[in-house]
Amino acid sequence: MHSGNFKVAYKTIRESRWQSSLTMFGIVVGIVSVVTIVSLGQGIKKQIIGEIKSVGSDLITVRAGKGVKRDTNGNIQKINPDFVYGFGSGTLNDRDVAIVEGSAGVKDATPIRLLNGSVIADGREYADGFVLGTNPSLPNLLQQKIEYGSYFSTGETARQVAVIGKTVAEQLFQENVPLGQVITIRGQDYIVRGVFEKFTSNPLGQGIDLNQAIFVPAPSLKEIAGTAAPVIRVLARPQNPNNAGNLASQISNSIKESHGGQDDTTVLLQSENLQVTSSVLDKLTGFIAAIAAISLVVGGIGIMNIMLVSVSERTREIGVRKAVGATNRQIRNQFMAEAIVLSVLGGVIGIFASFVVNFLIKVTTDLSPVITWPVVVIAAVVSISVGIIFGTIPAIKAARKDPIDALRVGN
Amino acid sequence: MPIISIKDVSKLYGFGDATTVALDEVSIDVEAGEFVAVMGPSGSGKSTLMNIIGLLDRPTHGEYMLSNRYVSKLRSNQRAKMRRDKIGFVFQSFNLLPKLTVLDNVALPLMYRGVSTVKRLQRAEDVLDRVGLKDRQYFMPKALSGGQVQRAAIARALVGDPQIIIADEPTGNLDSASSLIVMELLSELHRTGNTIIMVTHNPEITRYADRVVYMHDGCIVHDQRTPVGEVPALAKKAMYVYPRKTEEDDLAGVSAMMDFRPEKPSTKKRKAKAQAKRRKAAKAKRSADA
Ligand SMILES: Nc1ncnc2c1ncn2[C@@H]1O[C@H](COP(=O)(O)OP(=O)(O)OP(=O)(O)O)[C@@H](O)[C@H]1O
Ligand SMILES: [Mg+2]
Repeated sequence: MHSGNFKVAYKTIRESRWQSSLTMFGIVVGIVSVVTIVSLGQGIKKQIIGEIKSVGSDLITVRAGKGVKRDTNGNIQKINPDFVYGFGSGTLNDRDVAIVEGSAGVKDATPIRLLNGSVIADGREYADGFVLGTNPSLPNLLQQKIEYGSYFSTGETARQVAVIGKTVAEQLFQENVPLGQVITIRGQDYIVRGVFEKFTSNPLGQGIDLNQAIFVPAPSLKEIAGTAAPVIRVLARPQNPNNAGNLASQISNSIKESHGGQDDTTVLLQSENLQVTSSVLDKLTGFIAAIAAISLVVGGIGIMNIMLVSVSERTREIGVRKAVGATNRQIRNQFMAEAIVLSVLGGVIGIFASFVVNFLIKVTTDLSPVITWPVVVIAAVVSISVGIIFGTIPAIKAARKDPIDALRVGN
Repeated sequence: MPIISIKDVSKLYGFGDATTVALDEVSIDVEAGEFVAVMGPSGSGKSTLMNIIGLLDRPTHGEYMLSNRYVSKLRSNQRAKMRRDKIGFVFQSFNLLPKLTVLDNVALPLMYRGVSTVKRLQRAEDVLDRVGLKDRQYFMPKALSGGQVQRAAIARALVGDPQIIIADEPTGNLDSASSLIVMELLSELHRTGNTIIMVTHNPEITRYADRVVYMHDGCIVHDQRTPVGEVPALAKKAMYVYPRKTEEDDLAGVSAMMDFRPEKPSTKKRKAKAQAKRRKAAKAKRSADA
């Protein structure tokens, strides 16, 4: 196929602008949706990874259930997606907590007890949040600062004091510094003695907003709620950050031993958390992108449709071209060139539009999509392939037209 | 050595009871440099013959030799290439592609030969000059008059220096003034040595030809050489035969034709049958047109 075909094709397309724009629209929409979805996914991934990193890669999380499959070297092979989002199911017992706290090389450790259900303050009910029972070391473990007041200390673990997330402060008390206020949890009054700075990450799992949490001493929560506030996580940090891997497997082995050899707990390093989260996000993004890619196929069918119409509308033209000596191959190439020009143009416009949409998303929402070049290149390659694939059938149809029949039409 | 040699060529359409004999064992030789006018009633197979000579179509039976090469069995690709290199077509209507300029239309055959853009536009401009349309080269076809379109079509037929120019009713849609200009142009080409085969319904126009062939029901019924500038008596007579507007006219025309045409006795019966079929087809066509 030589360049002349493309010039002619470009001209033909320009002359039937309306039809061509409609055709290209399919391709443009396809590319915009694929590129936008993938770049949104990338943006969210980048954000989440940043958040997970901010907690420190040596944080060790222990939770119930078997969430990952490891190879003989201890590297993660397979991940249970349940482990990424929310609190998950399954609980740990006090012995597990004791094992983590007692392990050699642990600097800080805390169980996380979870109590769901509403709390009352000022006679108002607050149902959006949840209560977490922790040790005094929690702010250290999560590297989270207190904005007002302070976290409870080792001496206060039995007292009914609470530290609250920023959202709780705003929604429950409609003020920033509700120190000294009272929250009623299960009929017990807790006095607010601190407010956290805004949490920018979700270290306990995606979708868990700690700004909506009410933090109370774990022993006190156990006392008032009992089994209603089970241990859902144990967090620990090693004395030596480089020792995190060893410590994690040591903890894992000890718990396994205490469970009679049952491998029913998962110990994850924060770096592994990162891996788990990003793999799930990649899968999700890929899945949605695949759905969006269907629109590329629809765009291709649009091209085929328009080309088929164009072939039958241009029967006379094909007849004349054949009469002056066009071979079947030359006719086929002409129509193929049109399909290719249409899809390449659609591709270019689609990529351009993707950047525009990307910009609009950044400006109008707090999402920050990231367009990566491989995605753009793949979208472009796919759009051209779509053009070629779906342009072929009409082109072959055009090439096979009998010149006599073609010349007779409407004569 | 004739440039075109056709021997016992038949063209059948359809099959079984519905078979139409468009050409019935036609034989004709055309020498290089001849200007052949082909006459005959509608449906007599003139266009079919032109399409076969012009390699747009293949005969069902028979041999066709074009400049010393047997071409009746060629595949469509080889036919396309020979057509491109040896034949120039002028049709009655829809000659030019409406979306290309006159110049691009004329240059089209050269594009399919792979001639470079500059060269083919140059060459197209030259032939447009020759047909007197140089000042119209950048026009779109719809801005041209009917006569100008036909002249542009002739320019396109000429652009590749073909051995044969085939014109199927080139003046069929033109008024007499435009016809005159187009015919003068073809005549000029004839004088400069081109071989032209032209279908016409207008006997006046046969004066430009040096040979007139009469067709009827897929057969060549008469073939005569005439001096250029003269309208042969037979053609004049045929003037009263065409155009036929009604079925009665049609029948009258056919019988008039049958009166004077030299009969091929052996085929009489088959002819009658074919005629009946053709009349039916013609009637169907008219009602479809209406
Ligand atoms: N594709 C086809 N299928 C069936 N019959 C056909 C086909 N093409 C031509 N014919 C028939 O062949 C016969 C000859 O047709 P042709 O077009 O050669 O006539 P013609 O002499 O050119 O007529 P006109 O003066 O009207 O152009 C007619 O009876 C026509 O109906
Ligand atoms: Mg005809």
